[in-house]
Amino acid sequence: MSRFFTTGSDSESESSLSGEELVTKPVGGNYGKQPLLLSEDEEDTKRVVRSAKDKRFEELTNLIRTIRNAMKIRDVTKCLEEFELLGKAYGKAKSIVDKEGVPRFYIRILADLEDYLNELWEDKEGKKKMNKNNAKALSTLRQKIRKYNRDFESHITNYKQNPEQSADEDAEKNEEDSEGSSDEDEDDEGVSAAAFLKKKSEAPSGESRKFLKKMEDEDEDSEDSEDDEDWDTGSTSSDSDSEEEEGKQTVLASRFLKKAPTTEEDKKAAEKKREDKAKKKHDRKSKRLDEEEEDNEGGEWERVRGGVPLVKEKPKMFAKGTEITHAVVIKKLNEILQARGKKGTDRAAQIELLQLLVQIASENNLGEGVIVKIKFSIIASLYDYNPNLATYMKPEMWQKCLDCINELMDILFANPNIFVGENILEEGENLHNADQPLRVRGCILTLVERMDEEFTKIMQNTDPHSQEYVEHLKDEAQVCAIIERVQRYLEEKGTTEEICRIYLRRILHTYYKFDYKAHQRQLTPPEGSSKSEQDQAENEGEDSAVLMERLCKYIYAKDRTDRIRTCAILCHIYHHALHSRWYQARDLMLMSHLQDNIQHADPPVQILYNRTMVQLGICAFRQGLTKDAHNALLDIQSSGRAKELLGQGLLLRSLQERNQEQEKVERRRQVPFHLHINLELLECVYLVSAMLLEIPYMAAHESDARRRMISKQFHHQLRVGERQPLLGPPESMREHVVAASKAMKMGDWKTCHSFIINEKMNGKVWDLFPEADKVRTMLVRKIQEESLRTYLFTYSSVYDSISMETLSDMFELDLPTVHSIISKMIINEELMASLDQPTQTVVMHRTEPTAQQNLALQLAEKLGSLVENNERVFDHKQGTYGGYFRDQKDGYRKNEGYMRRGGYRQQQSQTAY
Amino acid sequence: MASRKEGTGSAATSSSSTTGASGKGKSKGGSGDSAVKQVQIDGLVVLKIIKHYQEEGQGTEVVQGVLLGLVVEDRLEITNCFPFPQHTEDDADFDEVQYQMEMMRSLRHVNIDHLHVGWYQSTYYGSFVTRALLDSQFSYQHAIEESVVLIYDPIKTAQGSLSLKAYRLTPKLMEVCKEKDFSPEALKKGNITFEHMFEEVPIVIKNSHLINVLMWELEKKSAVADKHELLSLASSNHLGKNLQLLMDRVDEMSQDIVKYNTYLRNTSKQQQQKHQYQQRRQQENMQRQSRGEPPLPEEDLSKLFKPHQPPARMDSLLIAGQINTYCQNIKEFTAQNLGKLFMAQALQEYNN
Repeated sequence: MSRFFTTGSDSESESSLSGEELVTKPVGGNYGKQPLLLSEDEEDTKRVVRSAKDKRFEELTNLIRTIRNAMKIRDVTKCLEEFELLGKAYGKAKSIVDKEGVPRFYIRILADLEDYLNELWEDKEGKKKMNKNNAKALSTLRQKIRKYNRDFESHITNYKQNPEQSADEDAEKNEEDSEGSSDEDEDDEGVSAAAFLKKKSEAPSGESRKFLKKMEDEDEDSEDSEDDEDWDTGSTSSDSDSEEEEGKQTVLASRFLKKAPTTEEDKKAAEKKREDKAKKKHDRKSKRLDEEEEDNEGGEWERVRGGVPLVKEKPKMFAKGTEITHAVVIKKLNEILQARGKKGTDRAAQIELLQLLVQIASENNLGEGVIVKIKFSIIASLYDYNPNLATYMKPEMWQKCLDCINELMDILFANPNIFVGENILEEGENLHNADQPLRVRGCILTLVERMDEEFTKIMQNTDPHSQEYVEHLKDEAQVCAIIERVQRYLEEKGTTEEICRIYLRRILHTYYKFDYKAHQRQLTPPEGSSKSEQDQAENEGEDSAVLMERLCKYIYAKDRTDRIRTCAILCHIYHHALHSRWYQARDLMLMSHLQDNIQHADPPVQILYNRTMVQLGICAFRQGLTKDAHNALLDIQSSGRAKELLGQGLLLRSLQERNQEQEKVERRRQVPFHLHINLELLECVYLVSAMLLEIPYMAAHESDARRRMISKQFHHQLRVGERQPLLGPPESMREHVVAASKAMKMGDWKTCHSFIINEKMNGKVWDLFPEADKVRTMLVRKIQEESLRTYLFTYSSVYDSISMETLSDMFELDLPTVHSIISKMIINEELMASLDQPTQTVVMHRTEPTAQQNLALQLAEKLGSLVENNERVFDHKQGTYGGYFRDQKDGYRKNEGYMRRGGYRQQQSQTAY
Repeated sequence: MASRKEGTGSAATSSSSTTGASGKGKSKGGSGDSAVKQVQIDGLVVLKIIKHYQEEGQGTEVVQGVLLGLVVEDRLEITNCFPFPQHTEDDADFDEVQYQMEMMRSLRHVNIDHLHVGWYQSTYYGSFVTRALLDSQFSYQHAIEESVVLIYDPIKTAQGSLSLKAYRLTPKLMEVCKEKDFSPEALKKGNITFEHMFEEVPIVIKNSHLINVLMWELEKKSAVADKHELLSLASSNHLGKNLQLLMDRVDEMSQDIVKYNTYLRNTSKQQQQKHQYQQRRQQENMQRQSRGEPPLPEEDLSKLFKPHQPPARMDSLLIAGQINTYCQNIKEFTAQNLGKLFMAQALQEYNN
């Protein structure tokens, strides 16, 4: 259909388009890459004007040829399919047929087909041999064609009377048909590559070329250069070609044309892409120029070779001689972009095309606006490269992406007059008008965020123990640098919202890193100013603490989305905790009230929250605040799913419970390895905190029936340790803690100490702290104190009095400390004793009940409740259940002693039995 | 259960066949029905049981075995026994019956009494009143009427007083067990209380005269055993353990009662609903009658209101029985200990 035609009937062209697709499909057999074999613009321009008739007829002839082929190999099923398609195609061509009359070749195929079918029908032998499908198709087809032919009866009889003449009439097509068929007659196999090849040798038909191209595609990794070549050959050596060849090209060209003018964008884009791909191929092709030269001693390629590579390429992208203007480039760009997300689109090719376009744009000095715009699209296409969310970018793609973003940033920094924004409309763009500020649609922030996500994905998908991971991790610096650049850019240009977002990115890349330099600086106060200055110069960056403070404060003040603020707070707390600023971290956590509503947040934020809590707990532990540490870690540890909660791995246990989809989602949530919190450290900190709390508590409440466990997990570990039939020296961290707990129970702090702090534990746990020695000192002291308490609880009953000096010797604590600990215990009524100041002794009061007394008391209590329960049964019988009883019950509790209740019991048992 | 049969001194010396009150065991007369009024145990059997526990039992694990003997007049004479092997996981397909039959056949070949008259079991701090014991004793008594269960308490024995008791189920309990109905009503009908579940049969330990003579001989020759476990004043451990166990049972009892309570409440609630339903039904029928319509069809009320399953009361009875045993133990123990303490005090005073 021609350009001129389309304007008239858009709808028709569209429908014909779809029809065409349907029709052409079977011809080539595999038409997946069909768009790629289009000719170049030059050719198009030559054959711009082609009638719709040709196109329609081309379709029909194609179909007819397939039918003939099928007839040759007696594939009736195929015949039937094609016949149906033919009927449809004919229906579409109706308007033309009305004008031109029924084409001869059409009549001919109908007649031939009918004859053929009748022949088959008669051939009983053959019919028997046919497979079931074919036989069925045969009868169907026979009926159909009979019915169909009734409409054309006159034509057919006419044709049958003088086939010669009619053949002459539509010389082109029929000739080709017969030629094709005669060709194929020779080999019984029917449509084989060999046949096509042979054909090609004399007159490469469109089909064969396609076919060839296909094969080459497969061979050469979807390189279409051969295809171009073919086309060139076709056009240049057309003298030897039959008209059929001409016709073929025409058809293709017309198809091409038809698409080009339709404003339907996708069509255009697809075509453009194809075209451009061809161009890209060109690069590669240049390498093989010699070879090609041999193939086609024709002009075109020679010409191309003579030129500078770039000059050579341009005409590929744009028609020769086209002036490269903004409009043209933009149009191309749009066309390329429209292919995005399409099924058949070769994404790699698209990226290359875009890069080429940038080059062209810069060659022609089209201004930064255009380049920026194209760069945006390149990056977007890079992201698009992987259709699957789960997979990650290939390293080279990733590198390309980083480079591209960097370049883009370069441009943006160099040209402050460019405005970039996602809210700029396509129409509002100003890409070249230098008088006004350039406006480009696109969001650098989104690109960077996406880049960051890609980076996370890459890290997630790399084996953390491989060299590869280290290599990837090196890119982190680049990512950070880019984020920083974008941040600087946005600080100038962006809205507060954008700034918040980029700040969050920055925070997310900062919060988990321990600032060794700042730490060092802290340790060495600025005594020699010269040296610290030098340090400063070396560091050349602000303290991460200051940085975090600044970024977070901005977000707190300006952010309007809750999520960013929440994340910022959590990161801030994490950072504080990481650097041992416990009180700041704790206050921030308490003030934010995050604990109350974190369960409503989305999983990634919850993971962040968990990480923060854990870090907070570890921080508290470092400060010697075991209780706080224990509380912070309790939630995470008690579930036994710390790994999952911290996003550091999936639990195998629940694998069967979740389906594939869920697992994928969960996998995506995983925190990259370099952010991981050491789980063993976490557990050890928790267990040691629990030990320091639980052991004295247990000692104090040994005989208390209502004592509660402070830490279930710790008790669990203890039980596991007890169940061990044979106790060897501890191996794992847990065993160490259990052994230490046992020692502590006896008040033996030295053994406890040696179990908690030794080579093994140092290697496993303690050395992981930044200030390992400080932590160890703290820990020793804690162990001494708690052991002293435990000792007093456990053995106070065997002492009448004990000298504090002895205690201080035993636990290697100085006297005031011992004094203060004992005083505290006395004040809290944990220890029934008093201090005798002059002699420095603790005098026990021995008012604690003995074990038996304790038991007896408990028994009495239990019996009391038993009686109460029994009375309820009794009341049931009496029918006085309800208010009366409840009053009574309270009465018992408050006023009546145990004896009285005993009385009741007697009374009741008398009546009950 | 006041009739405690204990050989004075260690088991080896408790030879006298006439020691101890030959018992009026039960205050509640239930034993009258049974022909067996007394259990006479051979010294051999006692030693074998003790040895069995010493070798195989430990801690809370119990050992069990079969008693052999025969009934003579109103006496059940237990003349021999053999242990059951300890169960382990590997021999799950071990056939107990087969083993017993084999053992008895073999023993018959060496001319030992081969009549099955009961079984024995060791106990841990007197906690033997369990469902398992009830069930197996029931099946024994069901098959062999005169059979008893001997309960051997190794801990008390270690303290210096041999503790061996013979129990059997009361006829009342036998009936209830036969019915297999442990609902509150059935128990009420059977008039069963925890005191009427087991009856103790007085035990006499008898040795042949030859052995007695030997014992006398030996006693003269051997130096006096200077083990005085009996006089040990340490009481807290044993008492504590007993209290702990008692407490556990009380807890169980409490739970059981709560369960029963819930049942009662549910039943009464249901009763109320049923009642309301019936009334509503009646009213409607009256209205219908006045309107001349046919009354509503009768519906199966039990389908509408499924009666709640009453909780089995047997467990609580058993727990009560167990508690009773514990109490007896503690009472006994404390009484003895008090005696010992007074004695020690007197000795002290005397020495001073």
